[in-house]
Amino acid sequence: MRTTSFKSRAFALVSTATMLATLVVAAPANAAATDPVCDGKTPVQTCTGTTSDGAAYKMVVPATFNGTVTIWSHGFGGNTTIPGVFAVDSSAQLAPSAVSDVMVKYLTDKGVAVMGSGFPTQGWNLDEAVKTNTELVGIFKAKFTTTTKVVAWGYSMGGGITQAFAEQHPELLSAAAVMNPVDAWSSQSKYFIDLLWLMKTWFDPSIKLTGYAAGAAGDMQMLGDLQKYTAILTALKAGVASGAWPTTSSATGKALQAGGIPSRSALLMIGRLAGISAQSTSFDGITGPATSAFTAWPLAYAPALATLENIAGVLGYSLLGARDMQNKMGGISFDNQKTDYSKQLSDEDRTVYNAGFSGNTAIAGMLQTLSPLNPDAPRIKGDAAALAKSASTMYESTGKIKVPTVMMIGQHDPVEPAGIVQRMSDLYEVDFAAAKAAAMKSAQKSGAYIAPVRKLQVIWSVTPKAWSKFDADGGPISLSGTPGTGHANFTLAQYKVVIDAAIDAAITGNLPWTGAHLSKITKAKGLKVDRDTLYPWMKYYNN
Amino acid sequence: MIRTTRRKLLVASAVMAATALSLSVMPAQAMSPRSEVGVTSTAIKLGITLPMTGSASYGYNQLPGAMKAYFDYVNANGGVNGRKISLVVKNDGYLPKQAIQNTQDLIAKDKVLAVIGALGTANNKAVASAVNLGRRGIPSLFINTGFSGFNDRKAYPTSSTLLPSYIMEAKLMSKYLKETYPGKKVCMLYQDDDFGDDALVGFDKSHGNMDFAVKVAYPSLSQGVAGVPDSWIAKFKAGGCEVQVVFGVASATLYTILAAAKAQYAPKWILGSVGADIGSINPATVPYIIGATSMSFMPSVVDPKDEYVAKFKEINTTYNPGAKFNSWALIGMNTAFVAVQALKAAGKDLTRMSLLAAIDNNGSKFANAGLVPLNYSKTSNVGFNGYWFGTFNKTGDLVPNDTFTYTPYTTDSGTGDVVKTTYVRPAMPAKGLPN
Repeated sequence: MRTTSFKSRAFALVSTATMLATLVVAAPANAAATDPVCDGKTPVQTCTGTTSDGAAYKMVVPATFNGTVTIWSHGFGGNTTIPGVFAVDSSAQLAPSAVSDVMVKYLTDKGVAVMGSGFPTQGWNLDEAVKTNTELVGIFKAKFTTTTKVVAWGYSMGGGITQAFAEQHPELLSAAAVMNPVDAWSSQSKYFIDLLWLMKTWFDPSIKLTGYAAGAAGDMQMLGDLQKYTAILTALKAGVASGAWPTTSSATGKALQAGGIPSRSALLMIGRLAGISAQSTSFDGITGPATSAFTAWPLAYAPALATLENIAGVLGYSLLGARDMQNKMGGISFDNQKTDYSKQLSDEDRTVYNAGFSGNTAIAGMLQTLSPLNPDAPRIKGDAAALAKSASTMYESTGKIKVPTVMMIGQHDPVEPAGIVQRMSDLYEVDFAAAKAAAMKSAQKSGAYIAPVRKLQVIWSVTPKAWSKFDADGGPISLSGTPGTGHANFTLAQYKVVIDAAIDAAITGNLPWTGAHLSKITKAKGLKVDRDTLYPWMKYYNN
Repeated sequence: MIRTTRRKLLVASAVMAATALSLSVMPAQAMSPRSEVGVTSTAIKLGITLPMTGSASYGYNQLPGAMKAYFDYVNANGGVNGRKISLVVKNDGYLPKQAIQNTQDLIAKDKVLAVIGALGTANNKAVASAVNLGRRGIPSLFINTGFSGFNDRKAYPTSSTLLPSYIMEAKLMSKYLKETYPGKKVCMLYQDDDFGDDALVGFDKSHGNMDFAVKVAYPSLSQGVAGVPDSWIAKFKAGGCEVQVVFGVASATLYTILAAAKAQYAPKWILGSVGADIGSINPATVPYIIGATSMSFMPSVVDPKDEYVAKFKEINTTYNPGAKFNSWALIGMNTAFVAVQALKAAGKDLTRMSLLAAIDNNGSKFANAGLVPLNYSKTSNVGFNGYWFGTFNKTGDLVPNDTFTYTPYTTDSGTGDVVKTTYVRPAMPAKGLPN
C-alpha cells in the first residue's frame, strides 16, 4: 500500500488549478482551553476539545489504555482558502492522513491512546504547533491520570514540529518518531527560495516572488507566480531534448542559450545549487533506453528531468511557505544579497554531473551570471524589520536528540531532502562518540564501563536498484509511487515499524536494536538502517 | 563541499577518538585478531566496478578478464598464504549512481575485502563521498584514473591511484612538444571536465608552460553528436594547426581522427594516454593513427623481449582464452600482479588495515611491469609517475622505436622538473609469482 503525506487532498489542486479569489483565514483569538468532552464509548472512547489558542483536538483512548499515548503532528497545510477549490483544514488529526483510521485502530488495539490537533494556524506553524502540543499533553494527562509515556510523532512540517517539541520539552516526552522533517526555517526557506529565485532569474524575470500585497490581492499575485512557474516547467520539459529555453527567459537566460548551453543544463544547475535530488520518481539516473543514448541518457538527460520532477513536487510548498512567512513576518524575511551561489556547487556535483552541465565552460558561464554584479539577476533584499522579527521570534531547531528518537526519510524526498536527517544523524554521532569517550574515561577510574545508550535510530526509505522505464521508442515512461522518492512516500507497514519502535523505546527507555525489530524493518520493505549512509547537508550549512 | 568535508572530519575524529580510547581501556586478552570481511582461511574476495557495457566500456571491459586470469593463475599455484582470490565484477556503465550502488553492494552484500581497479574520475569521486570509504576504512586500491585530486590523502585516506596524474602527463607532453616541434603551431582538443582541467594545469605557465595556437574544449558526450567533431576539425584547420594534441577519452579520439580524415586534415597527432589505443577498439582506424605519438608507462604489448609482457601474455592465453592481449589486458594483469604482492605483504592476518599498511610500507617496492616507479608510501597514494613516448606502428600498437628501447620520464603533480628516470624495474619473479 502506498500513501502520501499531503495533509489535504486539495493541496495538489493548488499546484495546478486555475486560481480564483482568495482570502486568508485569521488566527483565532486566545481563549481558555476546553476540557475534553468524551463520548464514553467502549472499547474506545473519543474525546474532543479546543486548546487555549483555538486548536481543535481529538483524543482516542481505548478501555485497555496502558498508559502510553501518541501525539501526532500533521504536515504543512495551506493557510489560504480558495472558495470552491481549496479550503484551509484545521481539523484535528491523529495519524498519517492516508492511513489514519487503520493506524488509530492499530494503536488502540495495543492499548495505546492517540491524540492530535489541527493546530491554531497552518502554513509555517512550528512555534504555534509546539505550544499547542505542549498544552495538549497537559490536557490529556489531566484527563487520563494513568498516563505514563508520551510519544510524539509527525511527518513533513509535523516532523519538524515533533523534533522541535522534543528539543524544547524533553521532559514531556518518552520518545519521538520524526518522519521526513522540515529543517529549521533558515535552512528550509533558503532551499525554497533558492529554487524559486534561480528559476525566476533565468527563466522568467516577471515572476514576483517577494513583496506580495497583503490579503487576497497578494494571494492572487502568489497564485499568478505559481502559474508562471508551472509554465516554466512545462516549457523545460518540452525542451529537454532540444535544449530550448522557455520563451519567457531573462536576457541572462537568453545569453546562456545563445552561448550553446541547453536549458536542461541550467535546470540541472538550479537543482544542484539548491540541493534538490537529481533522482526522482521516474528518473533513476542509472537506466538508459535500449538505444544509442544508453549512456548519454542517464548522464545528461535523466538528472535534469529528475530535477524537474522534484521541483514540481516542491513548488507548491515553496511558494505557500514563502508567502505565509512574508505574511507572518510582515515583510520579506529572506535575503540572498550576499549569497555566493558558485560555492553552492559541490566539487562532487561538478564532476558527477559534468556531462549534464555541458562541461566546465558551461558551468563557469552559468555561475558567472549569478554574480551579485549582474544587474539582470537582482538579488532579494530582505526587510530589516521582518528579518529581525524572524530571527527573534522563531525557534530554530538545533537537531539535538534529547529523547529516544526514530527518524525515517526517503532518499529523494523533494520537499525535505535527506540531508536534513543526515545532518542530525551526523551531529548525533559526534555527541554519541563524545559520550562514549567520557564513559571510557570514567571506566578508567572506576573499572566499570557503562556504555551510553544510543538515542537515535535513522531508518532510510530507499529506492529499488533501478526503476526508470522506457517505451519501445526509447522515450521515458512517467512513474508514480517509486519507493524512496516523492514526498513522504511511506507505506502503512513502514509507519508501523517506526511508531512501534518509538513506543518500544518509550516503554523500555531504549531504542530497539533487536533482531526482531530489524526483521520488521526488512519485512516492511524498502527500508534500511545504515549509519554510514551519506547525503549532503542542506546548502544553508555551507554558508 | 567544504561543509561536507568538515563534518566528515568532525564525525571521523570523534569516532576515532572514542575508538582509540576504547582500545586503550580494553583488557589485552580481548584484543585477539578478528576475522575480516572478505577474508576466510581459504579465500580472499575482491571487487571491481567499471563499465562493461556502453560507449565508455571500450577496452576497459577487458580489465576484469585479465585480472581474473592472473588471480586464477596465482590460485592454481597455491594462492596467497593458502587463500584463493576471487574477483566480483560489477558493471556500472560509467554511471556514477550505478557505481555507488555497485560499491555499496560489493561491500554490504558481496562482502569484499577491498575494491580494486575501479574506473573513472566521476565514479570514484561519487563513490568515495556517498559510500564514505575513508571513514569506514574500506580500501579502494589502484583506481584507474589520473585525476590528481585523488592524491589528497586526507580526502581519500583509503584510496590509491594507479595511473600517473593527468598533470604529470601534460607536463611530460609539454616538454616533448617543445623539444620535438619547436616553432610549430600546436593545438589541443581536451575534455571539458576534471580530466581536462588537470591537463590545463599541467600545461600552464607554472607547470609545462605550453602554449597552444588553438584550444577546443568538448563537453563529455558531445563527441558522439553528429557534426560536432567536424566543427572541432574546422577550427583546427582554420587555425593552421600543424601538431594536434588530443587529451580526451578513446571515443573522442576515434571521432576526431575520423572527422579529420574526412576533412583531409593531417597534422602530426599527439594522443594522450587515456584515449590513445583506438586501434584495439576499432581496427579500421589503424591506418589513420600510424605514426601518431602517444605515451605509456607500461612496456609495449608487442615488445618481444620484455619478460613481463611475455609472462602475462602466456597467462592470458591459458587463463583468459580467446581474449586478445592488448594494452588493457596488460594493465589489468599488472594490477592483479601488484594486488597479489599487497595481499602477501599484509601477512597471514589479513585485514583491511593491514592491506593498506602493506601498500604504504612496501608498495613502492612491488615488482611490476611499469617502466616508471610506483610512489606509494605513508604520505603518498600515487601510483606511477611518468611515461615514455612512442609511435603507433603499422599494426596500431604503440612502440618506443624499432629496438624497443624506452626512455621514460618522470615528474610530479606540482612544479617539479620533468626528468629522465633512473628507475630500474625489478625483475619478474620466477614463474610470475611474487615471493
